[in-house]
Amino acid sequence: MEPIVIEHLSKKYGQFVAVNDLSLTVERGVCVGYLGPNGAGKTTTIKVMTNLLRASSGKAYLNGVDVIHHPKAALDGVGAVVETPEFYPQLTPAECLSYVGTIRGMSGEAIAERSHAVLEQVKLLEVADKRTGQFSKGMKQRLAIAQALLHEPSILILDEPTAGLDPRGMVEVREIIKGLIKTDITILMSSHLLYEVQEVCDKVAIIDRGSLLTYDSVANLSSGHDITVTINTLEPITPPEFRAIKALHDITSVKRSETLALKVSFSGGPEAQFRVLRGILNTGVKVVSYTPQRAAIEDVYLHLVPEGEA
Amino acid sequence: MAPNSVRQIATVAKYELLKYLRGRRLLAIVLLTIIVSAIFLIVPPAIGSQYPKDPTQFTLNVLSFLGILSILSATFFGADAIVSEYESKTGYFLFPNPIRKTAIFVGKFIASALVSVGAIALYYVIAVVSVRVIDGSIPANTGLSFAYSLVYLFAILAIAYLFSAIMRSSVYSLVLTFFTFFLILPIIDAVGSVAKFKPWFSITFANGISQYIFQNPYPTDKIFTTAAPGASGVGVQTYSLAQYYPDVRLSLIVMAVYFIVAFVLSIFLAQRREM
Repeated sequence: MEPIVIEHLSKKYGQFVAVNDLSLTVERGVCVGYLGPNGAGKTTTIKVMTNLLRASSGKAYLNGVDVIHHPKAALDGVGAVVETPEFYPQLTPAECLSYVGTIRGMSGEAIAERSHAVLEQVKLLEVADKRTGQFSKGMKQRLAIAQALLHEPSILILDEPTAGLDPRGMVEVREIIKGLIKTDITILMSSHLLYEVQEVCDKVAIIDRGSLLTYDSVANLSSGHDITVTINTLEPITPPEFRAIKALHDITSVKRSETLALKVSFSGGPEAQFRVLRGILNTGVKVVSYTPQRAAIEDVYLHLVPEGEA
Repeated sequence: MAPNSVRQIATVAKYELLKYLRGRRLLAIVLLTIIVSAIFLIVPPAIGSQYPKDPTQFTLNVLSFLGILSILSATFFGADAIVSEYESKTGYFLFPNPIRKTAIFVGKFIASALVSVGAIALYYVIAVVSVRVIDGSIPANTGLSFAYSLVYLFAILAIAYLFSAIMRSSVYSLVLTFFTFFLILPIIDAVGSVAKFKPWFSITFANGISQYIFQNPYPTDKIFTTAAPGASGVGVQTYSLAQYYPDVRLSLIVMAVYFIVAFVLSIFLAQRREM
């Protein structure tokens, strides 16, 4: 039984089709990046899966339970962060966690233990007993992640989990998600940040205009597209060095961008990236930096999603 | 595994009560109750006049704020109970949990009802203790009056929840609730006197039983006829005005019907509402 199964899901608002006959199956223990331009239907899909919206047609199963007809049972093992939730300003983070923990049937002891752990994980332990009314958007987002993790869910559904966080907060949340990936948890994470998805996720689903465009592993999607890296050198590259680089296996094009810089394109994934770097170093070029111009997944995204929609 | 809905309802009610206890609205209602009661108790001796001799009249004087207190309670604790979850996005925190929206609704309603009953009970306690201390007696039917007030309170609270389930804005819901019971329905009641139709269907008219029950015998409908100069000062024109009193049994049924219909309808709408 796969943890997340979506079958021919549609959501319509009058004539507007937000999600159109979407089918997606997420395997256990996999982290899926859910990508698409604004209005593509990402949040709508997530809202249907978390009982915030009713589907117009189709099915969605969480751990084998139909979330549309049996949301209480389906959401039992699920943690979710949808948009940036607000919290009751009169309650503290500890009380918010106790509230959802009790709703989920956790014992007082388990709530206390897990609340301490998750608040420490999202770095909110110091403000555990302060009311949330004065919290910043970033703090609320951290608390939202804490409540999603409180009951150690088997499925985690995250709608742009790093939205509203400062750069440090974004890195920390990514580290939390990476830490979870080592466990058996299944994660569906929507994001606008393609490098974030490439860094964190095993698989990527790209959606546009409510329809699924592709669903595959990051490695497979990346392998079909060239990666371009900018290489900065300590000294100008000589013509023999240039020719040697051009002759390297995997290389598709080499352009001299500045006196001390080259743009090298090659096909393949991270392994090809490593081989190219090793090859360039073997030519004797004094490499100062080696920077991929953009994530390979970005190429896939730009290829699939028509211009003007992103 | 998520517990049964009864336990979840208790959890929602508990945290809603905690929110009320820490919020300003409950404090405002309690302060208002105490201030209004104090005005009725302090002002007469302060200006040199005496309390009414009749303990029933004295009780009615002290309880004259009862209708507004009930409306304020329904407005403060019911009118934005549902809509605020959507408008302020707290629903994103609460709804994606393994809990039925019906359980959330019922838990919220119980908390609203408890704090509102508390406010009304406080008002009655102040009135009864004051009359007992000053007059040495407690009017008959005080208990019945309290019971009728609670029936009215539950009914208007359910209607406030219905508005809250329908409206898109907390402010609109609060304003609609307050003015429906404070202005719109009382106007219909008043028109009934002039147009000589008994507004038995009006919930604010029905609420009159909580005050009239103190009167012995219970008042009956009357038609007053008065004479006034005719148009252009020629002749005499007679006018009649009706004074209607709500029938106790019918009024209780009316309020119960309002409660049941509004409660069921608001649960249905709240359950179907999307974020």
